[in-house]
Amino acid sequence: MKIKLTLGSLGIIALIIVFVISASVVAIIDSRVTNKLDGVLWTIPAKVYSRSLDLAEGSKVNKSNLMKELGMLSYSENRSPSKPGEFTYSKDNLRIFLRGYEDQKSGLFEVSFKDGTVTKITNQLGISVDIVRFEPIAIGGMYPSHMEDRILLSWSQVPSILIDTILSVEDQNFFNHKGISFRSISRAFFTNVKAGDIEQGGSTITQQLAKNLFFTSEQTIKRKVMEAIAALLIEFHYSKEEILLAYINDVFLAQSGKRAVHGFGMGAQHFFGTSVTNLETDQIALLVGMLKGPSLYNPRRNPNNATKRRNLVLGILQKGRHINSSSLEEYKSRPLKVVSPSFRSETKYPAFHDLVRLELRENYQDPELRTQGLKIQTNLDPVLQESLENSIKKTKAQLIKKYGKELTELEGAALAVDIASGEIKAVVGSSDPSKFGFNRSINAIRPIGSLVKPFIYLTALNKYDEYNLTTILDDSKLSIKSGGEVWEPNNFDKKFHGKIPLHVALWQSYNIASARLGIELGYDSVQETFNKLGIRKSIERYPSLFIGSFEMSPFDAIQSYQTIAADGFYSPLRSVRDIKDLNGNIDLSYPYKIEQRLRPEPVHLLKFAMKQTFISGTARGYPKKNIESWQAGGKTGTSDDQRDSWFVGFAGELLVLVWLGFDDNRPTPLTGRSGALEVWKNFINDVQPSSVEKNSFPRVKYIWTDKKDGLVSGQKCKNSVLVPFIIGTEPNTIPSVRNKCASKPKRSKSDVMQKLKKVFEEGQG
Amino acid sequence: MNNLRLVVFFLVLSILFSCASNQNNEYITSDSISVSEFSSSVELLVSNTNFLEDEILKINAKNPSVQRILVNSDVYLREGKLIQANSELERALRITKKEGAIYLRLAHLRHIQGLLAESKSFASRALLIKDISSWERLLLNVYLKRPI
Repeated sequence: MKIKLTLGSLGIIALIIVFVISASVVAIIDSRVTNKLDGVLWTIPAKVYSRSLDLAEGSKVNKSNLMKELGMLSYSENRSPSKPGEFTYSKDNLRIFLRGYEDQKSGLFEVSFKDGTVTKITNQLGISVDIVRFEPIAIGGMYPSHMEDRILLSWSQVPSILIDTILSVEDQNFFNHKGISFRSISRAFFTNVKAGDIEQGGSTITQQLAKNLFFTSEQTIKRKVMEAIAALLIEFHYSKEEILLAYINDVFLAQSGKRAVHGFGMGAQHFFGTSVTNLETDQIALLVGMLKGPSLYNPRRNPNNATKRRNLVLGILQKGRHINSSSLEEYKSRPLKVVSPSFRSETKYPAFHDLVRLELRENYQDPELRTQGLKIQTNLDPVLQESLENSIKKTKAQLIKKYGKELTELEGAALAVDIASGEIKAVVGSSDPSKFGFNRSINAIRPIGSLVKPFIYLTALNKYDEYNLTTILDDSKLSIKSGGEVWEPNNFDKKFHGKIPLHVALWQSYNIASARLGIELGYDSVQETFNKLGIRKSIERYPSLFIGSFEMSPFDAIQSYQTIAADGFYSPLRSVRDIKDLNGNIDLSYPYKIEQRLRPEPVHLLKFAMKQTFISGTARGYPKKNIESWQAGGKTGTSDDQRDSWFVGFAGELLVLVWLGFDDNRPTPLTGRSGALEVWKNFINDVQPSSVEKNSFPRVKYIWTDKKDGLVSGQKCKNSVLVPFIIGTEPNTIPSVRNKCASKPKRSKSDVMQKLKKVFEEGQG
Repeated sequence: MNNLRLVVFFLVLSILFSCASNQNNEYITSDSISVSEFSSSVELLVSNTNFLEDEILKINAKNPSVQRILVNSDVYLREGKLIQANSELERALRITKKEGAIYLRLAHLRHIQGLLAESKSFASRALLIKDISSWERLLLNVYLKRPI
């Protein structure tokens, strides 16, 4: 059968083909539009935040740290704070206009301090309030591969002035057209010709949304047609409010390093360090003005262009009677006042970010973190973090100056944790802390040197019926067969010190006395203590274990010292506080966990000896006043051939551990004292921890003893030191040579009454 | 209720006197009082969960800001919102670690959550704080000595 092809039939066939193709294109676009807008509109990366700072009556606050934190939060000084983000500080008095965060409302507050303690907080009406909360600092995110960053806004969070500004500038006829508007195109054309500049775009907001969501920015007829079809379909399926909200959340505003800043929520945070609800009209005008050319009008890179564009937008607002003439002039006169971005890559603090990731890995899949807009609140203290980073860098520079360029490749790691709760406040994993890569705080497994000794001594003190702080240890030459070889440990000063009290051997860090003690106690007892301190690894049964061949990462080492610093209460270290979903509901929390692993009294005795490390031992030289007020204690550690320099110390509520060494394990010229301790000191001197009250140990009493023989001495005797003992284990013998300067305290009637009173009040069992 | 507290208080004091000379070799802490040493009337009272919770929530913090947070925490606890109650208690601890009232609530909360060892550890930890009242001490001892 032959079909005669006439011109007419050919035309019909062509029309059918065109229709089928067009219908297919429309169907494909429609499917893409509905799929995208009906499902999860955008992948929202999880955001990682520092802890939020609470100021409450009775809170101890270091003024310098508070000022640093306000700076990091982009609060600016103004003698009369009148808008969110401003403060003034004078004579122990902080007046601050808080931006508001969660249950903390925005407003003006006055905080009074005395001797580093908050004494009073009032609101702007002069009414006393108990507590104010600052917003946390964004420190990073878990980004998808395209690195789009946004804070999703709901309709109720969008200020009306933002809507007015967007519509005035981008699409005045938005509520009247059906996706494309010939009126808008022609009006934009005439307005722009009249202004001699591009004040308005011809594309509707719906077209712009369609372009942003589905197409590239290529300028072709085909793309314009597709964009128009998509715009019509969007209008067909969705309300005007839904379209406008999608636009507000989607627009591209800036590129910050690898991150692409999308939406006005993130834009407000990125340029002004605050939420969009806190923005003023001039700030909104700046952001809306940037839509025309995010790079050209970027206020950080091109402030002049940005100012001109902002003023142009403000003029449009005034013409539309959204603001009056006087406001226009006032807004135009304002500086841009954009803040520095808090971070430019995935995170500002790579080592801390690693810990967060590790902690979350047990409960979240990677895609959940990258797409669901989770809000991760961590325990990071931004001031401590910055200080710890600076301390490592500063100390390294000082050491290079002192020892020469051989230390150029020196590496380091450090952690600062809250002793009681195990909250990780700061972490550094490299001597160049902002660098991504090998995180030594968790991955450098190194011999801990004398950091092991307190574990051995604790094993002894825990056998309190056999050992106390003045038990005499033997620091004479030791020679034993181990692994087929003769092992002869030496002291750092290459001397033997004979018979010495246990506490002296620890704070002087004598190797031989410690090795003898370890051997005496036995591997099983020591292993038991290791386990109680949270060390899961089995010990190798070589005597060198007792003087520091044991290997640990800085993270594991500080965990074991947390239990010591917290008087025997083990709390797993945690970097994350809680995770909230997009609606602000807690998805998962990481609560404070505690487990009593040891009796507090033997640990208290050990901490006394660690305090002596600062007073007379390997970390001596620190002001005694500080040691007392911080209840400080510490331990230096140096591995064989000085390959590793360690220091761990507690001060106030902080426990801080530092490691320095080379990645290739070559010797350094550093000891624990000359290297890691210097980082510790730089850090502690900078952050100045608050003082802490002593805990109560009713079963411990202090006795003056002699530093050499460990027997009873007196305050007036030479070489005497006040040493704690668990009651019933204290020495009684006064050597005849000290009969004059030492005397047993006489027990008077009032003493008996005092003791009874103490028992009565403290409920001794 | 006040009379009841007074009776309990004197009972406690008499127990404290009676055991003052005993050296307690238990693992936990020197300030513990064995439940076996409570008089039967005290034991009866503290074994009443409602009574115990009421008494714990009556313990005020000395610091007014902390007290305000504890009020929030108590509301959450009453509503059964244990995660939120815990968050508030941790917030209070960040302000001060010297308030027995916070640890007491944490011990109670962990007990409700079925975390008995932790409940016990919080109680033990609180007993290291100076200047806590005898009543707080007794209530802490209840959690300290409860069998796990």
